[in-house]
Amino acid sequence: MSRPAAPPLTRAALALYPPSWRARYGDEVLALLGDSGGGPVAVASVAWRALPAWFSPPLPDRPTRMRASLATALMSWSMLAGLGLVFAQLTQLQGLTAPGHPELRWAYAVFDVTLAASALIAGLGGLPLWLLMLRRARREHRVRDAVYLFLPLLAPVAYLIGLAGTARLVAGPNGVSQGWFGAVTLAGFAAAATAAAGPGLALRRLQPRGPALRLAATAAGLSAAVMAVAAGGIVVAVISLNLWVRQFPGYHDGTVSGIYLALVVSAAVVTTVSAARGTRAALAQP
Amino acid sequence: MTDRLDRWADPPLLVLASLADAPKHGYAITQDVAETMGVRLSAGTLYAVIARLEARGLIEPLESDDRRRPYRITAAGAEALAQQSERMSKVASVARERLGTRLGWAGA
Repeated sequence: MSRPAAPPLTRAALALYPPSWRARYGDEVLALLGDSGGGPVAVASVAWRALPAWFSPPLPDRPTRMRASLATALMSWSMLAGLGLVFAQLTQLQGLTAPGHPELRWAYAVFDVTLAASALIAGLGGLPLWLLMLRRARREHRVRDAVYLFLPLLAPVAYLIGLAGTARLVAGPNGVSQGWFGAVTLAGFAAAATAAAGPGLALRRLQPRGPALRLAATAAGLSAAVMAVAAGGIVVAVISLNLWVRQFPGYHDGTVSGIYLALVVSAAVVTTVSAARGTRAALAQP
Repeated sequence: MTDRLDRWADPPLLVLASLADAPKHGYAITQDVAETMGVRLSAGTLYAVIARLEARGLIEPLESDDRRRPYRITAAGAEALAQQSERMSKVASVARERLGTRLGWAGA
């Protein structure tokens, strides 16, 4: 028997809730509103309670929590890595140093080592899960999922090929203009987001479970913790540049530095919190 | 006269009390609370409370074939309800006794 469609206002009120809350209680609320007549006041009471629901959404089962945390952590990790590469391009690769302030050089070194370590941990920890999903996609002829799984390789390669082709066309004697640099940077973030979205979509569609998922979730936690140190290196370096390398344009602008640091800290917090949730689910007793 | 303290009623306690005798689904809980305790629980309040009580293991959902999923109180929920009822009884006893002195209620 098909269910009667909920009125638009009721659907709108439920749409304000977190997806896990809607999945768990949405049908029951619709039934209650249907049984009780569900006038505008009742619907308003549902909408009114949506905000607190975001602070403590119902927890799904452990594998679902691990998969969701992994997908979110992967996306925010990619954004943080992108911000870190912009930082490297505009600082280390320009040879910016501050004589008498060794902390800047230390911050560069900490960033380099921790970014590499974080990527290595994430790659090694996620490889068994990636292979598991790829084998299943091949076995079940799921071409779309296989493409999703290869996006972390395809998207950066496509970006680098595009970058190499574009650089020849737009580079002048003094390099590329600021506008082109901005466009190239935005394209890089789009490529990073595409690369991260692929495995996230495959996780949602293939719904893997078992030891490979737990290993990946645990490695994500460790990788995120190391990446948080890299973000700390960025923060120290940008503040040092802002204070002591004022002769270079851009580094004495507190607004630009502030926006950049806010993005770095936000990405680091999302990565760490998401990965920690996944790791906690992986290590929890069944 | 409208009960001016009605808005201070503790919805989690009302839901636990409603489920104390038998499992009920959402609509049955609101009906029971309205008829026996005189408090109207809105749909938003009821499901906010159900989500909290379920997360704390004080109630649990039962299997259901339709959208009206019944809930039952758990052992931890019954214990929490008993403790809170005991506290409320003491408060009610003190309140009646003191109001009796003030208003001259018989049998206070």
